[in-house]
Amino acid sequence: MTLILIRRELLDNLMTFRFAAATFIMLLLVVANTFVLIIDYERRLTGHNDAAKMHQRQLQEKITYSAGMDRLSADRPPNPLSIFNVGFDKRLGNEVQVSHGVVPSLWDGYMHGSSNPFMDMFASMDIVFIFEVILSLFALLFAYDAFAGEYEAGTLRLVLTHPIGRGYILFAKYIGAMLCLLAPLLISLLLAVILLTTSTSISVNTDDFLRIGGIIFTSVAYLSVFYLIGLLISAATRRTSTALMLSMFVWGFLVLVYPNVILTVIPRSEAPDALRTSAFNRIESIWDTFDRERKHYLVTDDFPGEDWGYELRGWGSRSAYFWDNPRTLMYTYNSIMDFEGFGEEDEPKMPHAQKHFGFLGAQTIDAAGRTWLIRKPALEEIFIQPANVERVWLKLSPVGLYDAATQAWAGTDLLGIRDFFHAARQYRQSVINYLYDHKVFESRQWFAGDKGAADWSGLPQFSFQRDDISTNAKRALPDVCLLLMINVVLFIVIFLIFVKSEV
Amino acid sequence: MVWDIAKRELYDNLNSLRFALATVLLLGLMLTNAVVHLREHPERVQQYRERVSGHQNHIAAHAESSLYDLAQQGPGDLYKKPSDLRFCAEGGETFMADRAVGGYHRWSTGTLKSFWILTYPSATPNRDNVRPEVTKVDWGFIIGYVLSLVALLFTFDSISGERERGTLRLTLANPIPRHTVLIGKFLGAFISVSIPFILAVLVNLLVISTSSTVHLDAEAWGRLGIIFFVAVLYTCLFLAFGLLVSARVQRSAVSLVILLLVWIVFVVFMPSTLVSIAGRSTSSGPTYDLWERSSKLHGELRRDYSPRRHKEPEGTTKRMEMDGAYVTEDAEQQEQLHEERLTRRIAEVHRARAITRISPVTIVQNLIESFAGTGFERHLQFLENVQTYVREFRTSIVDTDNADPESLHIFGVRTGMSQEPVSPEAVPKFEDTLNLSKDFNTAAMELLLLTLFVLVLLSGAYLAFVRVEV
Repeated sequence: MTLILIRRELLDNLMTFRFAAATFIMLLLVVANTFVLIIDYERRLTGHNDAAKMHQRQLQEKITYSAGMDRLSADRPPNPLSIFNVGFDKRLGNEVQVSHGVVPSLWDGYMHGSSNPFMDMFASMDIVFIFEVILSLFALLFAYDAFAGEYEAGTLRLVLTHPIGRGYILFAKYIGAMLCLLAPLLISLLLAVILLTTSTSISVNTDDFLRIGGIIFTSVAYLSVFYLIGLLISAATRRTSTALMLSMFVWGFLVLVYPNVILTVIPRSEAPDALRTSAFNRIESIWDTFDRERKHYLVTDDFPGEDWGYELRGWGSRSAYFWDNPRTLMYTYNSIMDFEGFGEEDEPKMPHAQKHFGFLGAQTIDAAGRTWLIRKPALEEIFIQPANVERVWLKLSPVGLYDAATQAWAGTDLLGIRDFFHAARQYRQSVINYLYDHKVFESRQWFAGDKGAADWSGLPQFSFQRDDISTNAKRALPDVCLLLMINVVLFIVIFLIFVKSEV
Repeated sequence: MVWDIAKRELYDNLNSLRFALATVLLLGLMLTNAVVHLREHPERVQQYRERVSGHQNHIAAHAESSLYDLAQQGPGDLYKKPSDLRFCAEGGETFMADRAVGGYHRWSTGTLKSFWILTYPSATPNRDNVRPEVTKVDWGFIIGYVLSLVALLFTFDSISGERERGTLRLTLANPIPRHTVLIGKFLGAFISVSIPFILAVLVNLLVISTSSTVHLDAEAWGRLGIIFFVAVLYTCLFLAFGLLVSARVQRSAVSLVILLLVWIVFVVFMPSTLVSIAGRSTSSGPTYDLWERSSKLHGELRRDYSPRRHKEPEGTTKRMEMDGAYVTEDAEQQEQLHEERLTRRIAEVHRARAITRISPVTIVQNLIESFAGTGFERHLQFLENVQTYVREFRTSIVDTDNADPESLHIFGVRTGMSQEPVSPEAVPKFEDTLNLSKDFNTAAMELLLLTLFVLVLLSGAYLAFVRVEV
């Protein structure tokens, strides 16, 4: 009997105009946008490759290590799954300098991809956004007359004269409509995946297919939430016209208004300024100590005079400066000495200078490490925590949950981007180990290229691999579970209303 | 007769659920908009004032030192004035720099210092912004998205619904021409949509104007009037479209599905998809290109001048002239480089904006931006103001130098220019202004386009209704 009911529902829905329209529009939008998004991805990939090549070239051109350490950077390639949910992939910095004087963080990143910053003012698109808007609308359009229409037509009475439980009828309605709604969703997603795999520039591996699977599963859960909301309205109002109006306004509110308004309505949770100031003062004092020790060394070493460049008269450039940014709690010292050659009289000064740079290098690394110990928790508190509070507010709407979960699957969420900066920090550590192992700070090549240029071939290479699928799943799971929970709760509520209602 | 039909429509709508929901929704949004504006705007204005006085102090400090100092250091940063009508259209202001840098220094060798050049910084607010991204709830959003949706929800069943119920037949059985019925229906729907919208706008403006921190002048009210007119025109567009589809389609449900799909495609998706297509051909090149080209140009110039300069002994007029030519030519070259990049970027945005004009929501948002004094066109106006001012500033330096009989009139070197201090009052100050007639010029095309859309759809609705069989 249930099967017959499901078949009836399915046929009822399949023959309608809205089904044809849904399929057509979904296919049109998804295919057109995937096409555009792939081109956009390819452009970003080219931008990344160009930037990485240029960084490599700039590094190779440097004949001294101190100048090269000022040019070493890590580049983040665009995420191919950003086609599904762009998240933070285009927004946050995609290159970061890796020097021994700073522990790199998200707030030190730069953008190489965005060549025209004005273009950022146009909203960017992704496939999940299409689903967010269209799937929810179609789910409501399929649901609004499911009960109300049958009340009005009187067919519900007829069905209930048969010896079947009301739960079965509800179940049959749900399955029938969901099967109908799944058709356009799956077809359009499959087409998107096919377009993705045929593109030569995008390499999709097994893990990526699993991630796409996760996105599809989440989409189905999202679709079901909105269908159930529609059913609830339909069962509660009993009139098609009222149900339709209410559904449309609920849709407008949940999809259009709530995600945009809520963050301006809630009071902005800002970390107190005192926190930033106190953290910055502590960081400043680290570097003050560093500066005192540096000067102390220059005064007390065997060489007369306090010049950090040891009065070397050569051909080249030298610069040394402190650099800070109170907003992002950035503080560092940078000394670059980039000489091509020296005069005769400089030779005796060399051992002194080499010893000094050896001391300075270790000292800078130490100060940078201590700065990071203060900076990391402070940045977390100032930037990340308020943002996380806002994210929780957004998740009160199923749209927010869906967005967050798909971002996590695609790896374009904040955690996914922070993985890159984590990798950059690890890379910096391996570079420092290399510099120590090869005694680069004490070497002549640190500041002079006259007796053999710096050798960059042995330096460890940076490569960023996205975490495996289990990490994505772990990050997406809470939101997916919440979506499923909303489904169950809605289903139970509808069941209760439907069972108690008089026909 | 038209009025009777309109009145009936109106009574029908006033008691309906959609009217109540639309009122609540629009009121809530407009109230939020006003409160947020009052929270953010005074801070912006205060910041602008402080910056302007900083700019004036900068000029005064250098003017009192010497003319060379002023000519070498430049006028300092020039700031964009925040619009009082920012609550109408946010206009992507955060993605456009709030200043032009007029005092950017690059090098100094011995006694020679590079002259200032005008550069255009870019705003990248997103680079380390970990907060979730949201659209600002401004009038542009409320009118562009919410009001258009409400307009469709009020008209989707206005003809097809009556046909379903059979009342359309009844109406047409009376001796009333069909166009009267259509106009009546249009007027009825228009007034029903206008009531919640006007209510919401009034509440919004009441909250804003009663606050002591934000002041709207007469021109601002005039601009608000134009924006309101644009909103009305835009509502008419969707009402006409709703009537057109409603007249052609037999069932209300089908009419709604068609309307919503078209709305989604044109309003929600079209703008961003079209921009992605337009953004394909980026010509402005990455940022590091500029630095590489800049240092290359400077290197070439240095190699060109160096031997010739050093041939002349220090202190002679010949040497001073050579040094001066080197410095000024370098500044001109570099400034041109920055300006070229800016021009390329602007051209790119213009292309993208031209393509997105197919979508009515982009048209209306552009219009609101233009009249609210925010957004891209306004940024271009600001840049124009800056460039005019910079020319004025440079002319005034030359004039002051010419007025001093003891000066050698050699620009670019300290000893070649007037040694007298300059009175700070004599140096022009930068004042950013907004010009309504200019805004009107940039908006005229879009205004005409919007009117054209409305007329086409209205006549379409008329034709559809006249030919329809009841």
